[in-house]
Amino acid sequence: MWFPRLASDRVLRAHPVDGPFALTLKQNNANRIYCLNAQAERLGLHRGMSVSDARAFCPDLQSRPAEPRSDMRFLHVLRRWATRYCPWVGLEGDSGLVLDITGAAHLFGGEAMMLSDMRQQLARGGVSGRIGLADTRGAAWALARHGEGLAAPGAPMEALGALPVTALRLDEGTVTALQRLGLRSIAELEATARAPLARRFGPEPLLRLDQALGRQPEQITPLAEPPHYGARMTLPEPIGLQGDVMAGAARLLERICDRLKAQEAGARALCLTLRRVDQEAQSVELRLARPLRDPARILPLFERGVSKVEAGYGIDQMRLEATRVEPLPVQQLSHVSTDSRARLDDLVSRLGTRIGLENIRRFLPADSHIPERGFIVAPAAYSRPEGSWVSLRPRPLRLFAPEPIAGSGPRPPQHFRWRRMRLVTARATGPERIAPEWWLEDDNWRSGLRDYWHVETRQGRRLWLFHTPQRPGWFVQGEFA
Amino acid sequence: MSYAELCVTTNFTFLTGASHPEEMVTRAAELGLEAIAITDRNSLAGVVRAYAALKALRREADEAAIRIRSQHRIDPCSRQEVGQAAPIARPEAPRLPRLITGCRLVLRDSPVEWLALPCERAGYQRLTRLLTLGKRRAGKGECHLDLADLLEGCAGMILVALPQGRLSGVLGPLQKMQRRFPGHVFLGAAPRYDGSDQAYLRACARLAHRASAPMVAVGDVLMHRAARRQLADVLTCMREHITIDEIGTRALPNAERRLKGHDDMARVFHDHPAALRRTLEIAARCSFCLSELSYEYPDEMSEGETPQARLERLAREGVTRRYPRGDAPERVHALLEKELKLVAELGFAAYFLTVHDIVCYARSRGILCQGRGSAANSILCYLLGITDVGPDQIAMVVERFISKYRGEPPDIDVDFEHERREEVIQWIYERYGRHRAGLCATVIHFRSRAAIREVGKVMGLSQDVTANLSGQIWGMSNGGAEPERIRELGLDPEDRRLAQTIRLIGEIIGFPRHLSQHVGGFVITRGRLDELCAIENAAMEDRTVIEWDKDDIDTLGILKVDILSLGMLTCIRKAFDLLERHASTRMTIDSVPQEDPATYEMLQRADAVGVFQVESRAQMNFLPRMKPATFYDLVIEVAIVRPGPIQGGMVQPYIRRRQGLERPEPFGDALEEVTRRTLGVPLFQEQAMQIAVVGAGFTAEEADHLRRSLASFRRMGTIGAFRDKFIAGMLGNGYSQEVAERCFDQIEGFADYGFPESHAAAFAMLAYVSAWLKCHHPAIFACALLNAQPMGFYAPAQIVRDAREHHVEVRPVCVNASGWDNLLERRADGRLALRLGFRQIKGLREEDAGWIVAARGNGYRDPEAVWLRAGVAPAVLARLAEADAFADMGLTRRDALWQVKAVRGQAPLPLFNDPIDGEAIREPVVELPAMHLGEEVVEDYVSTRLTLRAHPMEILRPAIPDLMPHERLATTPLKQVSVCGLVITRQRPGTSSGVIFLTLEDETGVSNIVVWPRIYEQFRRVVMGGRLLRVRGYLQREGIIVHVIAQQVEDLSPRLSELGHPLDEAVGVTRPETDDAPRPARYPPRARHPREQAKRLFPSRDFH
Repeated sequence: MWFPRLASDRVLRAHPVDGPFALTLKQNNANRIYCLNAQAERLGLHRGMSVSDARAFCPDLQSRPAEPRSDMRFLHVLRRWATRYCPWVGLEGDSGLVLDITGAAHLFGGEAMMLSDMRQQLARGGVSGRIGLADTRGAAWALARHGEGLAAPGAPMEALGALPVTALRLDEGTVTALQRLGLRSIAELEATARAPLARRFGPEPLLRLDQALGRQPEQITPLAEPPHYGARMTLPEPIGLQGDVMAGAARLLERICDRLKAQEAGARALCLTLRRVDQEAQSVELRLARPLRDPARILPLFERGVSKVEAGYGIDQMRLEATRVEPLPVQQLSHVSTDSRARLDDLVSRLGTRIGLENIRRFLPADSHIPERGFIVAPAAYSRPEGSWVSLRPRPLRLFAPEPIAGSGPRPPQHFRWRRMRLVTARATGPERIAPEWWLEDDNWRSGLRDYWHVETRQGRRLWLFHTPQRPGWFVQGEFA
Repeated sequence: MSYAELCVTTNFTFLTGASHPEEMVTRAAELGLEAIAITDRNSLAGVVRAYAALKALRREADEAAIRIRSQHRIDPCSRQEVGQAAPIARPEAPRLPRLITGCRLVLRDSPVEWLALPCERAGYQRLTRLLTLGKRRAGKGECHLDLADLLEGCAGMILVALPQGRLSGVLGPLQKMQRRFPGHVFLGAAPRYDGSDQAYLRACARLAHRASAPMVAVGDVLMHRAARRQLADVLTCMREHITIDEIGTRALPNAERRLKGHDDMARVFHDHPAALRRTLEIAARCSFCLSELSYEYPDEMSEGETPQARLERLAREGVTRRYPRGDAPERVHALLEKELKLVAELGFAAYFLTVHDIVCYARSRGILCQGRGSAANSILCYLLGITDVGPDQIAMVVERFISKYRGEPPDIDVDFEHERREEVIQWIYERYGRHRAGLCATVIHFRSRAAIREVGKVMGLSQDVTANLSGQIWGMSNGGAEPERIRELGLDPEDRRLAQTIRLIGEIIGFPRHLSQHVGGFVITRGRLDELCAIENAAMEDRTVIEWDKDDIDTLGILKVDILSLGMLTCIRKAFDLLERHASTRMTIDSVPQEDPATYEMLQRADAVGVFQVESRAQMNFLPRMKPATFYDLVIEVAIVRPGPIQGGMVQPYIRRRQGLERPEPFGDALEEVTRRTLGVPLFQEQAMQIAVVGAGFTAEEADHLRRSLASFRRMGTIGAFRDKFIAGMLGNGYSQEVAERCFDQIEGFADYGFPESHAAAFAMLAYVSAWLKCHHPAIFACALLNAQPMGFYAPAQIVRDAREHHVEVRPVCVNASGWDNLLERRADGRLALRLGFRQIKGLREEDAGWIVAARGNGYRDPEAVWLRAGVAPAVLARLAEADAFADMGLTRRDALWQVKAVRGQAPLPLFNDPIDGEAIREPVVELPAMHLGEEVVEDYVSTRLTLRAHPMEILRPAIPDLMPHERLATTPLKQVSVCGLVITRQRPGTSSGVIFLTLEDETGVSNIVVWPRIYEQFRRVVMGGRLLRVRGYLQREGIIVHVIAQQVEDLSPRLSELGHPLDEAVGVTRPETDDAPRPARYPPRARHPREQAKRLFPSRDFH
């Protein structure tokens, strides 16, 4: 089964588009077409074409950036769907599936019926697929890509003979060389003496030919199901005490953590579902600041959520599932390593259970002359502290939106009122001149360049003032400690 | 009060400075600075430009604008200026700043950078030697200097320390230098505008006090105006290979590093007035000026003879050689005396002798050469054998080449065979030594393509967008792109980022990027060259290059000899060699029979494929109208089909007069003498000058000035004054107002692109020689032309086709007969046949070909024998098989390839390869499918880019209905026709207001297609990208020239796949020389859908 337009079909299923459509992928600093729909193909566009060329060909082309990882996920979805036809389903490259339907066809009323069912299902799902069915994997591959259809059992040559040698899964160079020798179809290749062929091209073409014609076996490896991180416990008697629930959760957690450990993974989000006797279910969700698989560290975090659960007549079933799992490889511990990082993460998790994980943020340094852009704010749970805080110039501890004050002239005013305070300048150093970053459009910097002054007031406050000479005015933007 | 800026970084500190030196100087004048020092990083490359700009400013106010030289482009072939440049308006300044020549020395081992400002000429010489030392030590474009070098060789200059960043490590080196050069060392304090300036300046003052190196104010200037900050940031990104969004704190925080006047600097240095005043003191001490560089040409004494005496002796010997019967006309003697006198007065004798020596050396080694250039136009050069164009062949104007007043050096370029020029260059190095001879540099500038690509990259446009921007916009002018074109690319010109990008592209065009070596301009000195300018290593091995380009050298009055290369000379020499071998006649350029009627008759038929200079499409169209019958007609032909005369409207009047439809307008007797040979149409620069001299009473130097400045005047719209003077002069000489105006209009018309007669004559000579060879020895000419490739206008396919049309038998490449070069073989009937050589096979190396020929003996029996005896790699055998070079062993291409594929190892296995003793491999016979003609043709194109079998059109014609073969276009009634063929040229001349000319080729000949802009807009993509086109349009005939005016254009390139070969991309690929169209990126066939590829494998049944 081959999905020639897997990526674009996936996007179009979610957002149907009328007209030529293409997915683009940036490769080597050039935007190229990654996948496109039938309409676009009819207009002469093809894969690998640069997007601006395509635009020039076809001005109303609609495009989106491609996401190869989502496509791969979609292929896995399709793989699971395909298990409805037979249990042995494997991936074939990045846009195909291979199904071993031996002994399964009769369930659908024969091979032909099965194929038409597949086609119908795919068409209904909005996925264009091309299907080849043959005795061998190689022959089916060739048929799917170059012929489409069904090869009669036992006589693969009839269906394959007319197909080009590209249908044999050979590398580019071999195919070109064969073509230049005039051996363009599989039949022509088959008719050629084998020993001289092997002498010239190595074993590869013959092996592929034999695999396609069934003279050499080839296996299909079905993909294993992904591990499931969930555990359930049914209680003979309903429970209602918080301690009991926690004890139950601890047992479930133990099981999940063992599984996580075996897979070298850690849970990022967990969900504890408690079913009451009256069939009502309540769930406690827990999100962690970093992947964890240590039950002792996870369990206490559940406490707060569990305490809020209304037990009613009692809880008789508990289910714990790790809803988000991230890889967590085993690491060598060092006796000198401090666990302050881990403690911080635990703190973030703990606070997160109260105020929401998103509400905890951290500052990260950014590279810019513009004070407002000298840092970025990122959610603490989803970022790592990185970079170093090197400030070339003294910067105030607190920075706020510019607040206008009265003043004129290029030097800071002697007296000014700020936040209802009357302040008198004692010392002013400056100016530090900063011009807007011309390549960005920033509304705050509409007033042009700024001359920053470091002003110490008699009242003790040390403020960061700036003057905008191009549109005269004075502002306070920050306060030093 | 005033101020002198001592630290200015121009854009000759590549990818750093954001203003041209010219702009800096002009801005300095505007600001009323006392002096300005140009101090580029380890380089003096920009100082001459600043010097020239200042000189232009100082000149009387007759020139209204300063030109930025970097923005000018000179067409290398005709020496004409092309393109538009935006000049800087002249500043209104009461007095001009002084220029200080200097350099910023950046050391490897010290955090302190030094400004070195020579005080006197001796200091300057030490500076250039220091730079040369650092540059010769390092690779191209780098300079490795240490503090020790500075301590060694920095006497006689002011040294200003520039601390980088912190002041802590500065004291040590500062004290060291102060101890070594007391009184010459200063501490430069540059404000940083970061809020701590006053504290920093105070710290500097304390440091200066401790080190006893007085503090001096410097601006550390990077740009001439604040508006260049954006460009400076873009340059930073290019240097760091990042995009603008990643620039962060590497960007300039503000635009304060611009050139500033006294008031601005005084505000910052209000506590340190002495530092400001010290700039003036230093400026006063640096009295060196570039004009002091007195240049001395080497005068190689030979046996006590002075150069002038030797020149006279050689010239008189030349008279007897050129006129062996002693019948030299009186004019020759008169001219010779006049020129010798002039040369003696100006002291250029040694220069002529040097050129003579070089030419003699080349002759002695059998290297063909020919001189051209204004001075080559003299009788002296003719007699010395530098040129073969005689005095009776063109008018000679001595004033044009050397004028007493202009003080400019004469100009002789010598063209050599392009394959052997290196020998001459190395001989010059050897003869004069590397310390005395060096190649000029060429400053590589940002041109539109590079500018679009690099600025686009910095601004975050993806590569395909920039490729399209530069590809679709044919020759984007310096002004920027038109919004419509941008919209056509699917981009929004209103978009802020894009608008910025396009503006920056416009700004950066003309910025220097790096120095490269000049094609052949040699500077040779009597004394040390490294005391004149800095010398650096070139990228090429064994070459050293000076830092200045040829215009800089001209500005300073330094002589150079141009050692250029010309492909046609290689071709002619090879033809002469072949002539000697096969026809046993030894020939040289001057022994080719002159004024041969058969040759001219051939040219009149526009049968000129391969003939030098007249083979282009426009020339071929012009030949039948011009009907050249003498040598001077060729001179005119070469000069007239040029952008200048075409735009100046000279062509039509000339043709009408030549055909007798119109009478020449002589404008009186005196002027008739000037333009008689060109039928009253001024064509050459010399004539324009003479009209000014003879008609309007200008002096020779005024006339020369007029010629040089007309172009810039016209752009600035200030031509009025000159016009009045010219017309007044004409009126004063008794001409009527009307005649005067018409005369001036004519001069003005070609002011932009006048062509010097001497160049035209030199080219015409080669054109004649090549035409003569083509006419009388077509096989030899074709063979030599193919062996001199790559050169000229046409691809080998067209040359071969032309040879076959001239009844030359062309034989295919064959392992048993071919050499690396194409050869001639004697046929049974005594005529010569052309045997294609291995060089025609794509991807074959000369070395392998050499082995094959060397081990050939009595011939190879089978492909394996080639492998065993010649020892070439199996891949080479495959190349040969693909080129069908085993055909004469009775092997088809496929069978040969099949056999060759069996050879896989690098060396034979002895056991298996001995058919008697060993176990030779006996293979079953394999019957490979036979190739049909279409496949053979495509295979030929794939491996040799040409075919001797059949034209692809011949095969495709039955499938495309209603086509007119090209040979019938000349005779068919004028009506609508449809033609089809492979595109061989595709041109959009700048002079044709958007008209595109195509040449299509089919099996019967070529057709010329004219595509008007309206039709082009409609079929843009097809016209630009097609390989096989069908054109429907009206026939137009004028004499023997036939055009099809296109109305409909259709791209039939996909039909080439009907030839039945998957690699049809190889057919109909045009050469860059003949194709102005931007190259669309080609996609490898694998990018296509496999199903489509499957289709391509099965050709339609018609061909089986």
